[in-house]
Amino acid sequence: MNRYTGAAALTAAVVLPMIVDRGLLEDFSRVFVLILAVLGVHLLTGTTGLISLGHGIFVGIGAFSMANLLDQNLPVVVALVIATAMAGMAGVIVALPSLRVRGPYLALITLGLAVMFPPIGRRLGRFTGSALGRTVDVGGFDPPDFLRLDDHPHIWNYVVCLIVVAGWFLLTRNLLNSRIGRAIRATKDHEHAAAAFGINVALAKTGTFAISAAMAGTAGALQAIIDPYLNTNDYDWTFSLKLYTSAVIGGLGSLLGAVVGAVIYVGLPWLNEFLGLLDSPSLAFGLGLLIVIMVAPNGVVGLLPRFSKKPNSETS
Amino acid sequence: MDLFLQRCFDGLFNGAIYASLALALVMLFRATGLLNFALGEIGMVGGYTSLVMLTPAAAAAGGGGFVFPVAGTSLVSWLPGHPYPVVVAIGFGVIASALLGVLLQRLVLYRLRNRSDFVKVNATIALLLALAGLVTEVWGGLSHRYPSVFPDDPGDYIDVFGGRLRYTTLGAWAVQLALLLLLGALINRTKTGLAFRAITSNAEAASLMGIPVQRTLAIGWAVSCGIGALAVSIVAASTILRPGMMVTVLILAFAAATIGGLDSPKGAVMGGVIVGLTQSLVPGYTPFPSELAVVPPFLAMTILLMFRPTGLFGTARVVRV
Repeated sequence: MNRYTGAAALTAAVVLPMIVDRGLLEDFSRVFVLILAVLGVHLLTGTTGLISLGHGIFVGIGAFSMANLLDQNLPVVVALVIATAMAGMAGVIVALPSLRVRGPYLALITLGLAVMFPPIGRRLGRFTGSALGRTVDVGGFDPPDFLRLDDHPHIWNYVVCLIVVAGWFLLTRNLLNSRIGRAIRATKDHEHAAAAFGINVALAKTGTFAISAAMAGTAGALQAIIDPYLNTNDYDWTFSLKLYTSAVIGGLGSLLGAVVGAVIYVGLPWLNEFLGLLDSPSLAFGLGLLIVIMVAPNGVVGLLPRFSKKPNSETS
Repeated sequence: MDLFLQRCFDGLFNGAIYASLALALVMLFRATGLLNFALGEIGMVGGYTSLVMLTPAAAAAGGGGFVFPVAGTSLVSWLPGHPYPVVVAIGFGVIASALLGVLLQRLVLYRLRNRSDFVKVNATIALLLALAGLVTEVWGGLSHRYPSVFPDDPGDYIDVFGGRLRYTTLGAWAVQLALLLLLGALINRTKTGLAFRAITSNAEAASLMGIPVQRTLAIGWAVSCGIGALAVSIVAASTILRPGMMVTVLILAFAAATIGGLDSPKGAVMGGVIVGLTQSLVPGYTPFPSELAVVPPFLAMTILLMFRPTGLFGTARVVRV
């Protein structure tokens, strides 16, 4: 995204709450949160080539941590930061064993965790509300007085989501263009050569995984604020797989791909329902990914003329 | 003691299922170097095909008591002899999965042959989602009862020092050992097996030597996916047939294959036994809740990977820099 598209997007995002009604604005907030979740997958797979089929669990960890931290009457901002950190730490715990070995083990282990997350969550009693799910107490999260938004909590939620997501976006972009980002990309291109240049490959991979998990955690925490009802069953393996699929369909070469991916995550089932094609959105996601692999190696973003001349971002 | 034996036997039954799927995974991994995430769902298509083949069309009309109607039975009811006995129906299922495997190899993975491993793994992930969706789309989300090939009444067991060794467990292991022998013969005694090894070591050189690479890979896919359908029929007979049931089973089969070292058939079977036993013994003797029986084998795999990345029987991979 260059300066002008960025400015245009920001303007559109600011104007939006003035022109759309409440329901639509809440939908937009949900899309922003999904952008963040997809961005997490995007950062991991796009920069390191690692496959995580379980980022849904980090969204879940963020959401349930948020709910329980709010139970302790912590301020929302503090709870958001802690929930993010908890998801990041969970990411480190997942990444450490699986990154010692090469090959698709990380995909395997994360898919396993995604399968196990709902049954484990159902056993955790009050923390997750067991099988019935739980509500999130966001009572204390009122907009500050000077904004005069007391009657419009949905706009306040929208603004918070927008700021947090934009913050993560900036952070990711700057990180990727920094020395650390170059190191991470070097490990993707050639692990052994990167190691020979003094890059700590394991640290680069684990760090990227942790950041991307933290991002997913923030997405979950924001989700808990927007839709204050959580159930572990919503964070099953199909959720994780759809996140991954959306990120790849959107395109891993540019950050815009994460935005496109989130739009696909929301838009594909909607389009499917609108056209009355298929009963199960999984089929649509699977076929979509297959078509993208066959036709557009750089994802939907790669089809745009501006990005099509970039070298193939395929991972080896 | 008898409780211990009982738990061992239960574990061995599941172990046979994981071992057979792990064998299918290892087989394909050796032939193509690919972990097939879609194997379980390809097997599901075969499983449902066999269900269609053994369910009378009357049940489709709603006349079969508690039998849920199965989509597609009326399409095949004109076949002579339909509904078929279970063994024949499973045969149809195995053929359906094998054909599907060959078809997918031709239509999808053959076209990706020059692309990176990342893209190929993505393709199997896409197939996992697409086929899981397809099965729900065609056959709905309902659970179906699935008959067992082996005698499965409550009294069908051999008493071994107080533990009940069920005929289904014996049957599953008979199938498993037969598979191991057949696969061993295929890999070690036939020209196709020789071609497998040639392709794995260097596909390009193999094709220059006149080995029909595509045909050999198609055989690999057919055998692997056929085993998938067989495993589905065993799982379905011991519980029920429902969409999505194979994901957990496949994860544990992956764990079994990984513990065994991913490229060793012997290791796959050992891994299956280890996973099956961990799954039944750990919740049996620790306060670990039995709904979470998936977790201990998975932990075992993760810990093993940390200390022995090549598994128990795997060969270490050397990467040229």
